[in-house]
Amino acid sequence: MSKQIKLFAVIALLALILAACAPAAAPATEAAPTEAAPTEAAPEETEAAPTEVAATEPAGTEEPTVAPTATFPPPVLTGGEGCDPAATKVTWFVGLGTGSQPNDVEKEKAWVDNYNKSQKEACVLLNVVFNQGQNSYDALRAMVAAGNAPDIVGPVGKAGRASFQGSWADITPLADAAGYDLSNYDPKLLDFTKDEGVLVGIPFALFPSFIFYNKKLFDEAELPYPPHKVGEKYDGKDWNLETFQDLAMKLTVDANGNDATSPDFDPANVTQFGFFEQWTDARGIGSLFGGGIPYDETTKKAVIPDSYVQAWKWYYDGIWKYHFMPNADYQNSDQFGKGNVFSSGNLAMSHVHTWYTCCFDNSALSWDIAVMPEINGKITAKLHGDTFAIMKDSKNQDVAFKVLSDMVVSPELAVIYGGIPAVEADRPAFFAAKDEAAAPNKIDWSVTEEMLKYPDLPNHEAWLPNLAQSNTLLGSFRTLMDTTPDLNLDDAIAKLKDDLDAAYAAAP
Amino acid sequence: MSAVNRAVLASERPRSGVSAYTRRQWGYGFLFLLPWLIGFFAFQLAPILFTIFLSFTDYTGNNEFKAGNFNIIGLANYKSLLVDPLALPSMGVTLKFALIGIPLGLIVPLFIALLVNSRRLMASSLFRTLFYLPTVIPVVAGTIIFNGVMNAQSGWLNLVLKGLGIADPPRWFTDPTWAGPALNLLTVWAVGNAFVILLAGLQSVPTELYEAATVDGAGPITRFFYITVPMISPVIFYNVTIGVILAFQFFVPALLIGGVSGNPQGSLLFFPMDFYREAFVFGHMGYASVLAVVIFVLTMAATGLIFYFGQRLVYYASGES
Repeated sequence: MSKQIKLFAVIALLALILAACAPAAAPATEAAPTEAAPTEAAPEETEAAPTEVAATEPAGTEEPTVAPTATFPPPVLTGGEGCDPAATKVTWFVGLGTGSQPNDVEKEKAWVDNYNKSQKEACVLLNVVFNQGQNSYDALRAMVAAGNAPDIVGPVGKAGRASFQGSWADITPLADAAGYDLSNYDPKLLDFTKDEGVLVGIPFALFPSFIFYNKKLFDEAELPYPPHKVGEKYDGKDWNLETFQDLAMKLTVDANGNDATSPDFDPANVTQFGFFEQWTDARGIGSLFGGGIPYDETTKKAVIPDSYVQAWKWYYDGIWKYHFMPNADYQNSDQFGKGNVFSSGNLAMSHVHTWYTCCFDNSALSWDIAVMPEINGKITAKLHGDTFAIMKDSKNQDVAFKVLSDMVVSPELAVIYGGIPAVEADRPAFFAAKDEAAAPNKIDWSVTEEMLKYPDLPNHEAWLPNLAQSNTLLGSFRTLMDTTPDLNLDDAIAKLKDDLDAAYAAAP
Repeated sequence: MSAVNRAVLASERPRSGVSAYTRRQWGYGFLFLLPWLIGFFAFQLAPILFTIFLSFTDYTGNNEFKAGNFNIIGLANYKSLLVDPLALPSMGVTLKFALIGIPLGLIVPLFIALLVNSRRLMASSLFRTLFYLPTVIPVVAGTIIFNGVMNAQSGWLNLVLKGLGIADPPRWFTDPTWAGPALNLLTVWAVGNAFVILLAGLQSVPTELYEAATVDGAGPITRFFYITVPMISPVIFYNVTIGVILAFQFFVPALLIGGVSGNPQGSLLFFPMDFYREAFVFGHMGYASVLAVVIFVLTMAATGLIFYFGQRLVYYASGES
């Protein structure tokens, strides 16, 4: 008995030591860069750019998904130092999208300090709640319910706003009262900033999507880089879906060094993937094959666009049949960045938006960007647009609008959030700042402006009835594809349609 | 007793029959209880009552809670419960978790406590510390660690299983069949509290009982079932009660791993998660309050049943049961 207990003690001790020293990963072809893990997150299934996510495993497939940190910074509330004593206090809440990472907060504080000293009308109080999934949403909801709603919230995308449907002030009368000329903006951009027909912000920053690629992995495979201009050939071939998939398969490598085109390829031991559709939901994936909206305004029913169905089937096969995309287990493994796959250095190409520059070490990784391939005879680069919104419960809407109108033209804020300024004249300064962050890499930023010409129409973040619930269903659908090897996709799509119908019917 | 003393006592005795001394004692008692009472009313009772009130409204949480921002809608939210397609499945997830988790949460710490309580174990205080250690780690951090440990591709658990010859180990958090049990395993990691309480219970069992039983020829198993278990039955009862309450409230690790949809395929959509997402994701505060009331009632009922039936099985040395 004594020996057994000693044996147990030894085993238990070994187990504890093993747990403490858990191996980081299976062998990788390239050391993962030591970049800081991205920290921000939108709540699961509320696709809002640029946001990150707390949920970790299956939820890690939804936009934007980053492994959470075990501890996160406490909320920030500045005291309005340097304000004019007579200035009206305006609270600016950050947390529904990008902007709550510690390094962003310092820059935001600096912007607020400068702004408060630059004028006497408004005294901006910065309130940042680190976005670790749902917590920042909960914090804002508690503030609203308690009658302490902030005046300005942002940056925030459509999905983030949808979580507080009906809480946003109509900007148009505020702009009229302030004599602010909205006609300077492209009407399409203004439409993009409307929720259910109500203008809830001024266009601020655009986040086109494109292919981020890891140059080192291309060099190792001795493959040419993907095109930077629309119409360019790739290795003598049209830059279309077939070429793209073939390239992605060549860049997918198993532990024995076989690529995914090889009959000896082992999908159970992949060390490098060719492509990943990072941090988006099922609508984001669907828009690869063309814009669409899963809703028929006439019948008020769910209609899944053909382009979505095709894209989902291609995506699903890419994971489970051709293996050039990671499934959920790979996505969330240590080797592939625990959800932040491109940052791991073991992914060759990733389709994400401009804001993704927030979330990997821009200077340590050898990377550049390329245009989207042509699919079904057209190019589609899904687009995000974030803004700042004023809450309906704000007690100082006029002054808040004054601050908001200054924020949306601030080049400093555009750089912090990685969004291309809505005003074209501000873009060179923006790209210069991005170049500085990416050095020694020389990024071909012309790709971003090129991709702005091919937005997904209708947009994948377009309004749907009962948007928060609908987005939850669409997020879960992607997780289903990422986690289920033997899925009958047609049945799953039919079920999604039924679920969306039920959600639409339950819309208030 | 002198006439003067009688007069003094009579003057301190009010007409109700309670003396001034007793009233003063009550006053002091109340004074000392006051901090707890304030906390109880402000942070326990008031929110419970407020939740019940909310369950009769259509408040969304998207506006300040004040008149005009919500309507009283009677039992409409309660009717919605009957047609909610997720209410029953999410309760099923919670019950399944409880059915595995409660026995596991008792047997594992009891087993560890028995081993650590052994006089033959070297460095028992070191083991006490080691087994308790996970409990002091925040649940979020622990969950994130386990998410890595149980990753099907790179987690060391599956690496060990593969090393043992299991070619196709479970995809713990991506296979709906395994996701729930995986969370049960996760909770076992932090059984430190139950372990410490059970260990204290074991150490309070009089050794002469064991000695007498040994003299009478009782083996270790007999001693365990006829001495140890009855003697620590109040502790076991306490742990089971707490286990049931915690199982009905289990939520945070599931949210961190499965997100608000309880992925994969709703296998981690616990009942409290359904409540949480209705309230804080969909903004259905009224209906979410109904779900909160249901959790409250079910937990109370389960606890009541445990007390009703369980108390009979508990042995109190003082002879209470």
